Amino acid sequence: MSSLIPPSPFDVEAARRHLASARGPVFWRSLEELADNDGFLRWLHQEQPQLAQALSVDRRGFLQFMAASLALAGLSACGHPPQDQIVPYVHAPEGQIDGLPRFFATTLLRDEYAQGVLVENRMGRPTKVEGNPQHPASLGATDIFAQAAVLQLWDPERSQTVMNRGVTSSWDAFAAAAAQATERHLRDGGKRMRILTGAMTSPTLSAQLGAMLERFPGATWHVHQTLGNANARAGARLALGVPLATRLRLDRAKTILSLDADFLNDPTAGVRYARDYAATRTPEGNPGTPSRLYVVESTPSVTGGMADHRLALETDRLERFVGLLARGLGIDIEVPDEADAQQVRWLSALLADLKSNRGASLIVVGASQAPWVHGLGHLLNAALGNIGTTIEYTDPVERNVEQAASVADLVAAMRAGQVDTLWILDGNPAYDAPAHLRFADVLTQVPHVIHLGLYRNETGMLAEWHLPTAHQLECWSDARAYDGTASIGQPLIAPLYDGRSPAQVLAMVLGQNLQGRALVRQQWQQQLPDETAFNAALQQGVIPNTALPPRTASVSATFLAQVKLGPTAGTALELLFRADPTIGDGAWSNNGWLQELPKPLTQLTWDNAALVSPALAAQHQLRNGDVIELRLGQQMLAAPVWIMPGQAARSVTLHLGYGRRQAGRVGDGRGVDAYQLRSQSNPWGESGLQIRATGTRYELASTQHHFNLEGRDLLRVGTWAQLRTDPHFATAADPYRGKPPSLYADRPPGEYAWGMSIDLNACIGCKACTIACQSENNIPVVGKEEVQRGREMHWIRVDRYYEGDAANPRAYSQPVPCMMCEHAPCEVVCPVEATVHDDEGLNVQVYNRCVGTRFCSNNCPYKVRRFNFLQYADNSTESLKAQRNPEVTVRRRGVMEKCTYCTQRIQSAHIEADKQDRRIRDGEILTACQAVCPTQAIRFGDIADATSAVAQAKASARNYVMLGELNTRPRTSYLARLRNPNPLLGEDPP
Amino acid sequence: MSEQTYQSVTDAVCHITLHRRFGPYWRAAMVAAMALTLLLASGIVWLLHEGVGIWGLNVPVAWAFAIANYVWWIGIGMGGTFISGALYLARKDWRNSINRYAEAMTVFAVSVSGIFPVLHLGRPWFFYWLFPYPNVMNVWPQWRSSLEWDFFAILAYLTVSILYWYTGMLPDLATLRDRAPTLGKARFYGFMALGWRGEATQWRRFETASLLLAGLAVPLVFSVHSMVALDFSEALLPGWHSTLFPPFFVAGALFSGFAMVLVLGIPMRRALGLQEYITGRHLENLAKVMLAVGLVVDYSYASEIFTAYYGMDPYEVAVTTHRMVGPYAWIFWGTIFCNVLAIQLLWSARLRRNHAVLFGIALLVLIGMWLERFMLIITSLYQDFTPSSWGMFYPTFWDLAFLAGSIGLFFLLFLLFVRLLPVVSMFELRKLVPRHSGESP
Repeated sequence: MSSLIPPSPFDVEAARRHLASARGPVFWRSLEELADNDGFLRWLHQEQPQLAQALSVDRRGFLQFMAASLALAGLSACGHPPQDQIVPYVHAPEGQIDGLPRFFATTLLRDEYAQGVLVENRMGRPTKVEGNPQHPASLGATDIFAQAAVLQLWDPERSQTVMNRGVTSSWDAFAAAAAQATERHLRDGGKRMRILTGAMTSPTLSAQLGAMLERFPGATWHVHQTLGNANARAGARLALGVPLATRLRLDRAKTILSLDADFLNDPTAGVRYARDYAATRTPEGNPGTPSRLYVVESTPSVTGGMADHRLALETDRLERFVGLLARGLGIDIEVPDEADAQQVRWLSALLADLKSNRGASLIVVGASQAPWVHGLGHLLNAALGNIGTTIEYTDPVERNVEQAASVADLVAAMRAGQVDTLWILDGNPAYDAPAHLRFADVLTQVPHVIHLGLYRNETGMLAEWHLPTAHQLECWSDARAYDGTASIGQPLIAPLYDGRSPAQVLAMVLGQNLQGRALVRQQWQQQLPDETAFNAALQQGVIPNTALPPRTASVSATFLAQVKLGPTAGTALELLFRADPTIGDGAWSNNGWLQELPKPLTQLTWDNAALVSPALAAQHQLRNGDVIELRLGQQMLAAPVWIMPGQAARSVTLHLGYGRRQAGRVGDGRGVDAYQLRSQSNPWGESGLQIRATGTRYELASTQHHFNLEGRDLLRVGTWAQLRTDPHFATAADPYRGKPPSLYADRPPGEYAWGMSIDLNACIGCKACTIACQSENNIPVVGKEEVQRGREMHWIRVDRYYEGDAANPRAYSQPVPCMMCEHAPCEVVCPVEATVHDDEGLNVQVYNRCVGTRFCSNNCPYKVRRFNFLQYADNSTESLKAQRNPEVTVRRRGVMEKCTYCTQRIQSAHIEADKQDRRIRDGEILTACQAVCPTQAIRFGDIADATSAVAQAKASARNYVMLGELNTRPRTSYLARLRNPNPLLGEDPP
Repeated sequence: MSEQTYQSVTDAVCHITLHRRFGPYWRAAMVAAMALTLLLASGIVWLLHEGVGIWGLNVPVAWAFAIANYVWWIGIGMGGTFISGALYLARKDWRNSINRYAEAMTVFAVSVSGIFPVLHLGRPWFFYWLFPYPNVMNVWPQWRSSLEWDFFAILAYLTVSILYWYTGMLPDLATLRDRAPTLGKARFYGFMALGWRGEATQWRRFETASLLLAGLAVPLVFSVHSMVALDFSEALLPGWHSTLFPPFFVAGALFSGFAMVLVLGIPMRRALGLQEYITGRHLENLAKVMLAVGLVVDYSYASEIFTAYYGMDPYEVAVTTHRMVGPYAWIFWGTIFCNVLAIQLLWSARLRRNHAVLFGIALLVLIGMWLERFMLIITSLYQDFTPSSWGMFYPTFWDLAFLAGSIGLFFLLFLLFVRLLPVVSMFELRKLVPRHSGESP
């Protein structure tokens, strides 16, 4: 309230005291007096314009309004019952049972593409996101961003009110201003009006935008995407003549080649692709041959970590490699033969594999690659007969961007003074537009900038009007998934703040119905003609039959004539830009869960770093955390170094999304702003980088410091060939078969024996499990300094290990939750019985009994226990309290905690089963990590029931336990990873 | 002691307590000790306010300075009990002039050590949950945990040490009462003396009690240090999980205890003019015992390393190797320098009798023993079974503050003891007089 100190003679403090002392009728009279006070009115007009407006409309309405608003603003002090009639909760809404969660299907967006989710709603509060099994992009799983959406919803730093030039305003005030602007622009057809958006898959918004452009024929639509798929689109145009979208059918592919394509972690379809891919690689119940994955990439990716064979090549060498590959497949292209012996061997093995799997091979080109590489990819897939089998073409899912102008055009127009009104429909160009455009500077020359956003970010701060967007969980929306399937987003809660959906805002301008539901309802009138159909679509979370049908297309190689590849530059370094693995392009900066989620490949938290290859680090004598100066043309940036095994020797990778200045308390000032180095010409990277060590250091916070297994068999790996000849390879070296002997008798079996199986062959290391667990179990965020001290709280971590040559190692991921040891070392050492065993085999942590000796953590060989060294749980931020799962204790400082196998879900299932007098069914309990896993690597259930999925997984020959020789008898076991190397390439080098 | 009589012994000791003016050195020492104690006190307040996170602890290194301090201090305590108890039972009368301050040292060291296990808890205010009292939660402690055994071992040890020390002081307190120059002092010592009149029945009971307490204290010394060792042995961590630990810890405790007796005794006898009573022979005897137990400790080091490599358990081998060459190698080699190399000088009678050298070596042993405790704890924790969870420990300001503060508190207590209580056992010294001077008892 300090900013509200009135410059006018009106004394707010006196008014507050006066009101605080008043009761009942006196209170009303006081307010009337207040309404007649001149000083107060002046103050009100200056500081609370939305209230002043109300006053000008209707004095009686104003009084009612004041009673509530002043109470909220603290002017009347707290403690009065609301004057409005309140309705007691006697008749609960249908289907609502107090205390029990309800699930609603809705839609969340990532990079504007739909991900169908089910949101858990407890007493009207959305608390947890699960995947929607009916939705093609989810199949029941989600990525990390969908999990974090619920924290974003409750983020107290989201934009809360309409702001006009930095002063709190109102939607009505904006409506008046917008009406004026409309009138102004209608005169000249909107020539001086511009609309800036991102990609757009929402049919409703797209239609509204169309209507806008129709109403203002002179207006221009600009599209700004930080990364996006512009190259793929251009590539499709080159080879197919039309910018068709490409859909992968990984379930049909036997030989897959990724050219810098991180399809398992793809922002639009990664969750689905990961499931499809993992399914082809599970030996159990899968008699056919597994797929084989070749990856050629410049910077390590999640997909690269799963590769059977991986090549680390800089962009220029990668392009020449593709050229040679094309030539090997009979496509005429001019390419210098620079391949070294390893590449030649690799290429011939790859070609043999591809040719022998015609129609079942698949070449995927990454979004970072130049358009001609995308075009060539289409030619190669066509040459291999893959089109229509492993690759399907569809119409573009997004609104046709080809009609849009670029952000560069917009800047030019702004500079030339041709823009009077600029609509920025979500986005943050002042931060993430190419640096040399100086978007922020130019923006200030535009008289009227209207910015819509979830946060009042760098762009919102500069805008004349900033309008708060309602969160996706607060408003009606619709969107399309990667395959075109449309789904509706329904609000789970009334807007916490004064936000409105973009569709509602456009509706204001277009004079449409302002009701979000009506807008969406109207859009789908044809497909969903009546309420029943509409409600069914809401219930299912998908609108039936909206997936785009495959299209045929013919390829043309004429564009190759323009492609001329010279020899590679030799020693020049290149700088690659990629979206940050956990905070994306910066839109998620203020999300503590995502900031603290260890980045899948580096295990870094809270920062980005310049990823350099071990060779480059050795050449410049760099250690992790050394600050280097990156110079690209005229631009310069200092960034700390992280040595990345498997990084191409001459490639340096810098993730976007950090260095935010107006993100909020969580995101501000973290990391370095990679956008400052980025130019318009190539958003994905540029050659000609120069680096120089500065001699200073920057402390990075990584959750893992040692990536070498030290020869220990914690993570076991074999090959498919081995599985056939020696199925028990995973346990062959174990000194015993089955359980080691013990002096103590086994515990008597309980009603159930809970256990977990984690398939390392399926795990891609995406970390969705870690963040899902955090969301489900009220795990606090501890901050960078605490992570640096080694005090992160995640209950399930995903370890990463490397094997072999650091220049191009094999990479493995291993999720580690509590092992729920039958002979738990933690239990014997606790002096107060705070960690005990229950009869269903759970190793239970009793928070309120724990005194915090930490002996249990010391004695845990798996180091899965986490301790509240300080008061980590935020007990002061009100909105964060609402996010928490009421079934899980919020731990206070001084107590130990750890994975519980989601004991609250087990208990809920117990209650349900008891009510119906039956046993808990297999699959009835899904732990949070299990439910979210895109590849279904985690299985949980009753291991005493031989028919359960988990018992069957544990019966696999690949089953092993970690550190079994300690006789801890873990209930969590692993299935060994399988590699499928090409016999022509042998085992080493990879 | 050839010229000593009952009178002279009593006069000399009483003079220190009742009449001596404690000069600037004592005052300066008091100021320093109080300042450090204040640091400890502020540390405790901050700890209770913020949590144990003010220390550098983490996962995997969830124990560090506080536990090292605890083990170190309790080990130091052993010296006093051993000197007064075991040597008493063995009828080694030469101990009579040093047992009082050695016992005081024990009581103070054990008291200081007792602070740490409590403050080290995440929720120290619930430390009494380790006690098996009838409670509404209907929960008992978990008897399999060595921390539980340890809790009782410390409690028993502290109780017996205080009883033994205090009972042993009664006759001397009565002497002070009788000689007190002011009414205030007479009341103070009179209250403390619990009505001791020196009657024959009192003496008889006193002797029986002393014998019983000594008989109790000596086994307790062994039990408490074995229990401390089991705090580590019970864990399955490589480097901790060893049956060698209990005897190894007893030897280590004796080693540091004797070192502390020397570190306190050498300056004290000089400052208070006690050379007549705490003689060169005493110091030499202490030095010899220190060397002997030091060699036992060294043997333990050797056998630990041998067992690790001979056993070929990969985790044991890794921990032992990391101790010697890893990032904490300087602590290992520091320990070797202090506890193995430095004490070898004591073989030389000339060096052994040079009190400055002896003082220096004893100080090195104290430092070495702290380093050893720290090494034992840290190096087993920071790199255990799962390489992904390996992590370093770096102390914070508060880690160092608690160590310094505990030293301050110990010296504060000791300085007060020197000022207020008889530092040498008068009645026991008097027993020595007749044999030397020919007087009848």
